[in-house]
Amino acid sequence: MIRYLIRRMLALIPVALGVATLTFALIHLVPGDPVVAMLGDTAAPADLAGMRHQLGLDRPLAVQYATFIAGLAHGDLGESISYRQPVARLIAERFPATLELAGAGLLVAVLIAFPLGFIAGANPGSAGDVGAMGFAILGISVPHIYLGPLLMILFSLDLRWFPLTGRGGLAHLVLPAVTLGTALAAIIARMLRQSLIAVRASDYMRTALSKGLSPTAALLRHGLRNALTSVVTLLGLQLGGLLTGALIVEMIFSWPGLGRMLIAAISARDYPLVEGCVLTFALSYVVVNMTTDFVYAMVDPRVSLK
Amino acid sequence: MSGLAKNPSLAVGGAIVAILIVAALFGPEIAHRDPLAIDLASALAAPSLAHPFGCDALGRDVFARVMWGARLSLGVSTSVVFLSLIVGGLIGGASALAGGRVDNLVMRAVDIVLAFPGILLAIAMAAILGPGLIDLVIALTAMGWTGFARLVRGEVLSLREREYVHAANALGARPSRVLIRHLLPAVAGPVAVQATFGIGGIIGAEAALSFLGLGALPPTPSWGNMLDAGREFLLIAPHLTTAPGVAIGVAILGFNLLGDGLAALAGRSG
Amino acid sequence: MKRGRVRTGAIAIALCAIVASACARPVRERAPGTIQVDIESSPTSTDPRFATDAISSRVNELVFDSLVKVSRDGEFAGDLAERIERPDPTTIIFHLKHGVRFGDGRELTARDVKFTYDSILAPGSMSAKRAGMIELASVTAPDDYTVTMTTRHPYAPALEIAMQGIVPAGTPLPARSTASAPPGSGPFAMLSYRRDESVTLVRNPHHAAPPGAAREILFKVVPDPTVRALELAEGICGLSENNIEAAVLPWLADHKALEISNTPGTTYKYLAFNFRDPRLRDLRVRRAIAYSIDRAAIVNSMLRGTARVATGMLAPESWAYDGNAVSYGYDPAAARRLLDEAGYRADAGGMRNLRFEYKTTPEGARLAEVFQAMLKRVGITLDVRTLEWATYYGDIQRGNFQLTSLQWVGIEDPNYYYMVFDSAMAPPHGSTNRGYYSNTEMDALVEAGQRTIDPAARKEIYARVQQLAADDLPYVSLWWVNTVAVLNRDLGGFDPYPNGSLRSLAQVTLVTPGGAEPAQ
Repeated sequence: MIRYLIRRMLALIPVALGVATLTFALIHLVPGDPVVAMLGDTAAPADLAGMRHQLGLDRPLAVQYATFIAGLAHGDLGESISYRQPVARLIAERFPATLELAGAGLLVAVLIAFPLGFIAGANPGSAGDVGAMGFAILGISVPHIYLGPLLMILFSLDLRWFPLTGRGGLAHLVLPAVTLGTALAAIIARMLRQSLIAVRASDYMRTALSKGLSPTAALLRHGLRNALTSVVTLLGLQLGGLLTGALIVEMIFSWPGLGRMLIAAISARDYPLVEGCVLTFALSYVVVNMTTDFVYAMVDPRVSLK
Repeated sequence: MSGLAKNPSLAVGGAIVAILIVAALFGPEIAHRDPLAIDLASALAAPSLAHPFGCDALGRDVFARVMWGARLSLGVSTSVVFLSLIVGGLIGGASALAGGRVDNLVMRAVDIVLAFPGILLAIAMAAILGPGLIDLVIALTAMGWTGFARLVRGEVLSLREREYVHAANALGARPSRVLIRHLLPAVAGPVAVQATFGIGGIIGAEAALSFLGLGALPPTPSWGNMLDAGREFLLIAPHLTTAPGVAIGVAILGFNLLGDGLAALAGRSG
Repeated sequence: MKRGRVRTGAIAIALCAIVASACARPVRERAPGTIQVDIESSPTSTDPRFATDAISSRVNELVFDSLVKVSRDGEFAGDLAERIERPDPTTIIFHLKHGVRFGDGRELTARDVKFTYDSILAPGSMSAKRAGMIELASVTAPDDYTVTMTTRHPYAPALEIAMQGIVPAGTPLPARSTASAPPGSGPFAMLSYRRDESVTLVRNPHHAAPPGAAREILFKVVPDPTVRALELAEGICGLSENNIEAAVLPWLADHKALEISNTPGTTYKYLAFNFRDPRLRDLRVRRAIAYSIDRAAIVNSMLRGTARVATGMLAPESWAYDGNAVSYGYDPAAARRLLDEAGYRADAGGMRNLRFEYKTTPEGARLAEVFQAMLKRVGITLDVRTLEWATYYGDIQRGNFQLTSLQWVGIEDPNYYYMVFDSAMAPPHGSTNRGYYSNTEMDALVEAGQRTIDPAARKEIYARVQQLAADDLPYVSLWWVNTVAVLNRDLGGFDPYPNGSLRSLAQVTLVTPGGAEPAQ
């Protein structure tokens, strides 16, 4: 067990390196640089060149890459070009907000999906099934950038139940979390329904029913655990989507998180900040994946930890 | 025919998808109006007899644009899902079968791509590749193949441990043949589900990429760029977002039901 | 099975803990007497020596004073300077007011003025403002309240240089500074600057404030236009200027608490040509394009009256405005005739062998499609290429485009014509004449306009410049964008400036003083 954990931790390093390299390549391949963004489009070319030199942007790419990786090895993420503050500090300030949003989104998704998926899967073809899956379709087909403002108009402007934007107490968290979690809820609900239907026809169910349990109870006690396998796999796959969705939701709701800063940093071509943010997202994703694999192995004893 | 009655998902889903295909193929003729004709005086007009879905910000008929958009949105999403499935399925399946270090290496690469925030990849692709449908398909496939890779690999790994594989092994059958015989039907279900979700996700991703400059070149309408263009007018002309939004919802519903129906079909014979 | 349940339970508890932590956070109360202004993007710099974008300038204007400012009527008026003398064509003497204090209490003297300009002009300062101060030879401070500015040659637009915001002597360059902003002598001081989120200004205790005036201004960055409109409707935002979609204005006007102000503005929107393309060097092609754009229809239907069709870079509000420049109405027949003459015959479908690439940002895509349709009617094919902001500006800056449309904000002095049309200002040497326009008559005129001090003579020169610009079409003038402000009726005394300045926020009062804040 410990050996497995250590091995997985060590596996983080090549992933981090790979993500860092991919980020570096992509952001430098993209045309444009931070200097035009900083100095404005009327700046004299001589000044632009001077600024590029001051920022070290005119060094050969290989040199810039080597400096970047060397810095990473020391845990130094560099200084943001647009904020002129250490990248690590900027990330530390904003990452908790993103975690809060993502966590709340996940909670909302699970709270909505499990009852819905269960109702649908326990009685396929019933009105409950149709209703639950109808909601699921809605959830998937409405993108965040549309759902967010819709919820804002309905619940903030018309009903005045929740504040419009920003981060504060629980009330501020509701609309962003619902926006973020709805699509995921729909996907989980569908998968749960799928798995439950499959389980209903399986040997486990037959055994449970033969023991005298009612269909619902059997489904709850035995079916759910088996269905959980697929759901957990799905969660692992969808978590990337949750983080990406968080970027968009942060923009709409003025949520002071990492995603919003990343999008602005990309626009400003703030290379150190982009790399720092992407690494943070990537590593979080990988860590959560490790946990998911763990849970998967716990839930399905047939899969051994390798 | 009686098979269809037992499988309402397949019937309804199939019907919706068929309608979508007809719209994609013959939409422009059905709609009669020119989706590209700008008429500034009718900008943001509400739905009426003359314009059943109203007009957009430049006075173009929304109904005609939705019909035209069907062609593009469906074409792009199905191509992307198909390509992602092939690329991802091959990589994932091969990796699982190969096992050991090859499997580890491939999964490391998948991890790296998956860990990457999709939006950065999208922005980078948009800036590097530029606009155009082929580039859009490439970018979306690059973002989507990993899902299929992991799914197929997961199923293959799981299957390897199943009893009947061990039993078949004991009986002397070659492991690869056994796997393929049992793998495809087992994989078909989850893959079909994933694929139908893929189509919905692709249409949503297409909207985001349209905003970034990747995708259909103006003035070609796609459901994604119609949704995005209508966002600004949500407060005053909701029909601009409702029309393509409903179209997307119906399309997803159709594909999902179809996927369900197919999965049920596969489950029965598998 | 038990272990699986325990795991799932642990995750659930962790999620609840995260949410619970959100409950515990206190909501930051907004101070009474605060006005929230929604802006669509973040100011890039809080140091007036470095900020060139419009939003930074508007925010910094409230914090920093300058020797001279542009009044509401477009005239240069003394701000820190109470008297200005011009003893000879290359010298200007500013006599400073006494008793002006920075936010930290220090008095503003000529030393601070000299330091500000010297730090910008110093090589290695990386200030973009340097390009506009090329003509400045020196700034000296003969005594504490006198500043002497000397230019290399007679330089008529010298007062434009005098619009630079002044920082205290000794202020380090932003790259080395840890403070969020240098102290200024203006009506407000910067309390906090959270880039891409908000800027908070509080009253400068050493600057007189009218009774009842707002105590704090919160500039909040809200990129989504629908959210800005919602914030106005909910009373969270008190003012939003020039960033609300024209079609949404009637919806906002329906709210009794809101008021829409739509006044003439000087921001100039134009279509730019790249003269490196031989086809665009043909005047007939440019004129044909000018005739094929129905500007009136766009202004009325798409912009809904929030702009005025423009005849040239200078709006009628400018002292140098000349109304005799030729104007191009919508005349597709004339356009087709010109294109035939230029040798681009139309085929059976009406299309000609004339295809251009038009670059735009996503915000400009709708206008691009209108141009595309209008040009198609006369047989020109326009390929619209939408690029992300930074990529777009990088391309434009390097002259890497064929057609595009842009705007100039805050044109105070007609010397702008030199920046955009003089052949010396084209890339790679300069970056403002991005279209590589080169016309010897124009060069002579704008250079003379720069050197002629006498206002009457200058006015004649620029009259000729405007006529030449309209005849030769280096740009197709599109429209002058109005200053459109949506404000809460609680705000009294807001005065919209034609150049978009928010200076009147210094005088704005909240009609319900102190207590009754809008719902938050």
